[in-house]
Amino acid sequence: MTATPVRGAAAPPPVPRDAVIELRAVSHWYGNVVAVNDVSFALRPGITGLLGPNGAGKSTLLHLIAGFLRPSAGTVDAFGEPTWRHPELYRRVGIVQEREAVYRSLSGREFVRLNARLHGLDDADAATTRAIARVDLAAAADRPTGTYSKGMKQRIKIAAATVHDPEVLLLDEPFSGADPRQRLQMMEMLREMGAEGRTILFSSHILEEMERLGERVLVIVTGRLAASGDFRAIRRLMTDRPHSFAIQSSNNRAFAQALLAEPAVRGVELVDGRLVVRTDDFGRFTVAAPRVARDAAITISELYPLDESLESVFEYLVAR
Amino acid sequence: MAIWQARAPRMTEPAAGSIYDLGYRRYEGVRAGRRRAWWALYFDSLRAAFGLGRGAAAKIAPAILIGLALMPAIVQLAIGALVSADVELITHDDYYNLVKFLLALYCAVLAPDIVGRDQRSRSLVLYFARAISRVDYALAKYAAMFTAMLAITLVPQLLLFFGNALATPDFQDYLKEDWDQFLPIVATSALGAALISSVGLAIAAQTPRRAFATVGIIIAFVFTFVLAGLMVSELASDITRVTIFASPFSLIEGFTAWIFRVAPSDSDSFVLRAGYPLAAYAAAGVAVTVAGLGLLVLRYQRVEA
Amino acid sequence: MTVLIVSLTLRQLLGQRRTWLLVLLALAPVLLAVTFRFTTDGTRDAREFVADGVMRNVMVNLVLALAALIFGTAALGQEFEDGTAPYLFAKPLARWRIALAKVLAAWLGTAGVVGVSVIATGLIALAGGPMDLIIPAFVVAMALGALAYASLFVCLSVLFDRALIIGLIYVFIWEALITNLAPGAAYLSVRAYTIGIARALADTPASTFSAQLSGPASFAALALVVVLTSAYATYRLGSLELARRV
Repeated sequence: MTATPVRGAAAPPPVPRDAVIELRAVSHWYGNVVAVNDVSFALRPGITGLLGPNGAGKSTLLHLIAGFLRPSAGTVDAFGEPTWRHPELYRRVGIVQEREAVYRSLSGREFVRLNARLHGLDDADAATTRAIARVDLAAAADRPTGTYSKGMKQRIKIAAATVHDPEVLLLDEPFSGADPRQRLQMMEMLREMGAEGRTILFSSHILEEMERLGERVLVIVTGRLAASGDFRAIRRLMTDRPHSFAIQSSNNRAFAQALLAEPAVRGVELVDGRLVVRTDDFGRFTVAAPRVARDAAITISELYPLDESLESVFEYLVAR
Repeated sequence: MAIWQARAPRMTEPAAGSIYDLGYRRYEGVRAGRRRAWWALYFDSLRAAFGLGRGAAAKIAPAILIGLALMPAIVQLAIGALVSADVELITHDDYYNLVKFLLALYCAVLAPDIVGRDQRSRSLVLYFARAISRVDYALAKYAAMFTAMLAITLVPQLLLFFGNALATPDFQDYLKEDWDQFLPIVATSALGAALISSVGLAIAAQTPRRAFATVGIIIAFVFTFVLAGLMVSELASDITRVTIFASPFSLIEGFTAWIFRVAPSDSDSFVLRAGYPLAAYAAAGVAVTVAGLGLLVLRYQRVEA
Repeated sequence: MTVLIVSLTLRQLLGQRRTWLLVLLALAPVLLAVTFRFTTDGTRDAREFVADGVMRNVMVNLVLALAALIFGTAALGQEFEDGTAPYLFAKPLARWRIALAKVLAAWLGTAGVVGVSVIATGLIALAGGPMDLIIPAFVVAMALGALAYASLFVCLSVLFDRALIIGLIYVFIWEALITNLAPGAAYLSVRAYTIGIARALADTPASTFSAQLSGPASFAALALVVVLTSAYATYRLGSLELARRV
């Protein structure tokens, strides 16, 4: 699937035939705040990442898909039925909340078993054992969840959310606060589940997490869908955009002149005693700049990008 | 290009580890000091109590309760205006007996907002790391609660007093004659506010959970009052009569009567007929207030929320 | 399934410091009864002291109301506050089952605490004299009152974040104050229903204690309150936007 930045008013992309979850022109607002603004996409089996800065609407979007919020406009469907007011849906959907809430006095096993029984599973005990084994908590399963560390609480939540073997798994910021090892373990687990044919959607604001896991990614900024599709293609789009760098050198003027001769350089300005270089091809530029400096016997004392933050990347995507 | 000036990392040595100057600056200006901090805390607590700065829902409860507390005064003024100024249905010395449950509710609603929010958000540590000392903190909270209680103890009485004054044909005459009511009004409302604030805050400061604080306060005022009533009037033995001193409402009733110089035999209230000298209630009232304050200060010697 | 939720809720309700608060609360009338036994000189009619003084003024008005408030608002409200509500709601469970389970849990907790207190108080204070069915009358009345309070407060906690304060205002202003000023308000007062039922069931002379409502009227109104509030709670749970409450 190619990566296409989707503009707000454009028609939603055609829905793939094996779409499990579909959103069509969904908006959600409360009072004056529009949390989600005219978002359309479809989710297929496999792992999809929901990427966006804090406050972009990721949680709201997840809540809409989970049936925890009513869409103010548009439709949110899972397996062809609206998610709102549809408790039966939860037989096939598992949800892992961001908030660290568990029934503290229950042991891990009791907690997962409770969820299994609430789902009406015939063999709650076997399902519990499986789920706990999958998250690797068998050793600590009989301790009260109140004594768990943050990472363990996260894992027991995942166990509780997957005990009924759901086809869809929604995770809200599952990696926040996880140490590197826990993160790797969780990623491996999610990869396995995705390979089993489940539809997994997880949210994050860290690009690298998307990179490791996300086959597909949805980028959401201030409630609008800024990009969707294959992660690598989007990454390329994000890196193939115009870049700006600031440079401080031993001879700014001479350097500026030399740089202008380079094809990778779009423009050079002298601002406040520094050079600001704009370039379309940052790969080429990073190779060219030191070479040009060496050839001109100029020393670079500072060189840093001006718009590498996630926010500026998103802004660029939204403004396109 | 202000953005990148703040962000520019200055490299000292590329190879060795270095700390980058990201442009962080210490505040070099004037620091207002402990007094200002105390007043700031006081005002902030007061605002929190009345729900200012939060949604409308937080403002409604205190507003309704104060409104209800004004009712008896309004009723009396209406009667005075419509029927006759001589009909004294509701008098100053009797006022708190009428509204006492409202006072308890008011305290139960406000106290968890004054001391509970800092505990819930675990910001006590932050406060104590500032210029303000722990005792300062406790006193500031108390002052805020006291001020808030004063709104419901003093204002209705003042309304009644000045309303009555305005209703009479000769304003000045009324003031001259009834001036001896004014100081008692202020004294009783201040003492009552002090006592209720002290007990209420001492309880509310014990727990971050609003529900516990609220119910605890209701128990401390209403429950004790009903129990004391039963102990004194129904059981009427010497041992049980003492329980009257465990009921803040009884203490208030007692010292209000003492300050207004009400003769015990005139009243059919169980408090006044319990057989203790009225001054004892005032002494006990002060003692309980101080004890409550002590508990409050003690609580903030430990930081756990 | 419902039993599962009831037991889970009870476990949450009872395993906290609030239980100690309630134990203290429920002990107070018992202490009163004990004091009564030791201080009375036998000339006072125990029945009036118990029925009017203790049962009505302390048990019904205070212990029952406060216990019901604590359990009733926490049964569902605590789940929202703690963030554990999704574990219940993101399940293929009928909403009426959840509502029913919460009401039952609140009811059992309240009735349990209050029931024991009533029986103990009554036995201690009335032993050796005529009992006139005071104890069973109040046990039944308070059990029913607890049910009405439970469903009312669970319903309130579905509707409001600060159900506790609203419940407090209901008990201590509407039920305590306004029903005295406007007797018609008694038709909307669970406290009045409770006393009414107790009055109808107890065998004591009318002078012992009085009720604002008759037995049948109390019972009917109580039943109506239970049904209506439970139904409304179920209805609102059906369209509950969890993300807004948690």
